[in-house]
Amino acid sequence: MNVEITGLTRRFGRTQAVNGVDLRTGQGVFGLLGPNGAGKTSLLRMMATVIPPSSGSLSLLGRNPAEHRSRQELRRRLGYLPQNLGYYPGFTVVEFVEYFALLKEMPPGRVPAAVAAAVERVGLGDKAKAKMRTLSGGMLRRAGIAQAIVNEPELLLFDEPTAGLDPEQRVEFRTLLREFGRRATVIVSTHLVEDVGAACSEVALMHEGKIAFQGTPDELTARGVGHDSGDAPLERGYSAVLAAARA
Amino acid sequence: MDNDLIARIAGGDDSALRELFDAHAPWLAARLRAALPAGDVEDVLQETFLAVWRSAGGYREQGSAGGWLWVIARRQAAQWLRRHGRDESSIDALAVTQMSATTDPADVAAARTDLAAAVESLGAEGSPEREVWRLLYLEDQPVARVAELMGVPVGTVKSRAHRVRRLIRTALAGRPSAEEGS
Amino acid sequence: MDTPQDVDLNRVWVGVAAQVWRRQPGRIERLVTRVLRSQGLARALLTTPSLLLPWLLASVAVLVAGAAVTAGTGQPVVALAAPGLAAAAVAYAYGPGLDPAWELSRSMAISDRMVLMTRVLAVFGVNAVLALAASAVSGTAAGIALGWLVPMTAVSALALAAATLARSANVGAAAGLAGWAITVLGGQSATGQLDAAVTKSSLVLPYLLFAAGCAAVVLFSSRNPKGTS
Repeated sequence: MNVEITGLTRRFGRTQAVNGVDLRTGQGVFGLLGPNGAGKTSLLRMMATVIPPSSGSLSLLGRNPAEHRSRQELRRRLGYLPQNLGYYPGFTVVEFVEYFALLKEMPPGRVPAAVAAAVERVGLGDKAKAKMRTLSGGMLRRAGIAQAIVNEPELLLFDEPTAGLDPEQRVEFRTLLREFGRRATVIVSTHLVEDVGAACSEVALMHEGKIAFQGTPDELTARGVGHDSGDAPLERGYSAVLAAARA
Repeated sequence: MDNDLIARIAGGDDSALRELFDAHAPWLAARLRAALPAGDVEDVLQETFLAVWRSAGGYREQGSAGGWLWVIARRQAAQWLRRHGRDESSIDALAVTQMSATTDPADVAAARTDLAAAVESLGAEGSPEREVWRLLYLEDQPVARVAELMGVPVGTVKSRAHRVRRLIRTALAGRPSAEEGS
Repeated sequence: MDTPQDVDLNRVWVGVAAQVWRRQPGRIERLVTRVLRSQGLARALLTTPSLLLPWLLASVAVLVAGAAVTAGTGQPVVALAAPGLAAAAVAYAYGPGLDPAWELSRSMAISDRMVLMTRVLAVFGVNAVLALAASAVSGTAAGIALGWLVPMTAVSALALAAATLARSANVGAAAGLAGWAITVLGGQSATGQLDAAVTKSSLVLPYLLFAAGCAAVVLFSSRNPKGTS
């Protein structure tokens, strides 16, 4: 198992963002669904080693991120796309991706080819030397994806990756997700149910810091039978699970 | 179109290099593949387009850009083989594939061994046929340019080219594919 | 002609693009890489806002003017300006308010804390060297020639702590400059001497204790995730 989480919690002051999450997953694309404020981002940030859990245990790629050396090893094998990426306006796309490749401690000799491959992979080849400040929202998102995948990570964490992408780019991104899912654990947090249906082999639905459902997209769809809220079968499953959790 | 792309490449526009690559890499790969293993083709192609990136500023609008690219590709192939201690005669075979309809590597490999003798049959170094062979098939110059360089009419170049192909075909006895389809 | 099936043109293009797009590190970056033994850290250091040329030129201009005034009037302008300049530069070295990709930086193998420490030390060192040169050319009296160094450490630590806690480089710079102004004016009103803040040896220990306290605040607020397991 690449991700093993037991009883994970995270508090921010009085707010309980994540409240006793158990999760185990191996290779493949794992969708993290849920309304805004459900705790998806906090869970991903803990997996990205950005914030520590308040309690519970976390093992990623067989390593304990609480230990310095393990955390550093883990971070070299990690790809993370935060919800709010942030970028250096004066950097070109290539400089941006290269910067994070170096901060991930990739061997410098491998960096130029890895950067070129990542930039091409997200379809930004024709903007490789463009300054970040000149890019559209969708292009910035793709530059963010490029830095996440540049080190061929074994654990990839995407927080709302399709935000800002147009429909065609979203379809391309799902293809990329499936490709990565063949050799890495990919965890995608999204509030777009159709992203999950198209690309994920497994899905969890979060509600108020807890996991209200975990299973395959088909199993989520099955939960929606007879439920009338939602336009598509998967959406009806999503709504049905949420309604039950709220009740 | 290609000339514009090359001018943009000379100005440092990498997206123009990408366009040129998309347009020409497939046929360059196919031609190189006739004489080289796939792995070498990839390396030589990479060196070719890097050479294009570096030398686009020296490009003169004579003949086709394709011809210019092919000259670079063949030069890079020769350098690549020399650097890696391989037999450079496979590069001569690239000229054969150019004359011939076949791109079957096995055919070309077989032809390669007889090629030196075949070229000898064209006459001494500097003879009109050898010059046509060199300019037209090795350096890939357009017919008009060869005519200009040799100081003869275009028709004469064409008839000499025909004679060159016939002599090569005769020398490569039993390998008629060297002319057919050219 | 069709591409041969066993030739991967995508791979070829990536190989070409890797060379065409590759950034060539300059001489300074290569040197810093050798010293730090990390190209990532070297790159992070050389993108420090307060180590970029415009900032350095502005600092030099202030110190040159200060040195001229010191040489002409005997007032210890260089000694009084140096800590303030260093505090502002340290506040603009690194931090959550300065790095737009801070969240992402927190997930990197070269940690944000490592980048912070490297940048702060480098900025402080550069500012100390500049102030030393300005002191030397201004012919400052030996007693205060290096008197600014300890207060510079304290004020820089204050600026860094404020910038880290408030997640804002501006707040850090303001805190450093205000703290230093209060110290200088306080010293003057207590002793009647403008240069009391940099000449009184009795202040050395309080400065150092204060700097240590601020450093502890920075270390605490930039600590690595501990998490339970």
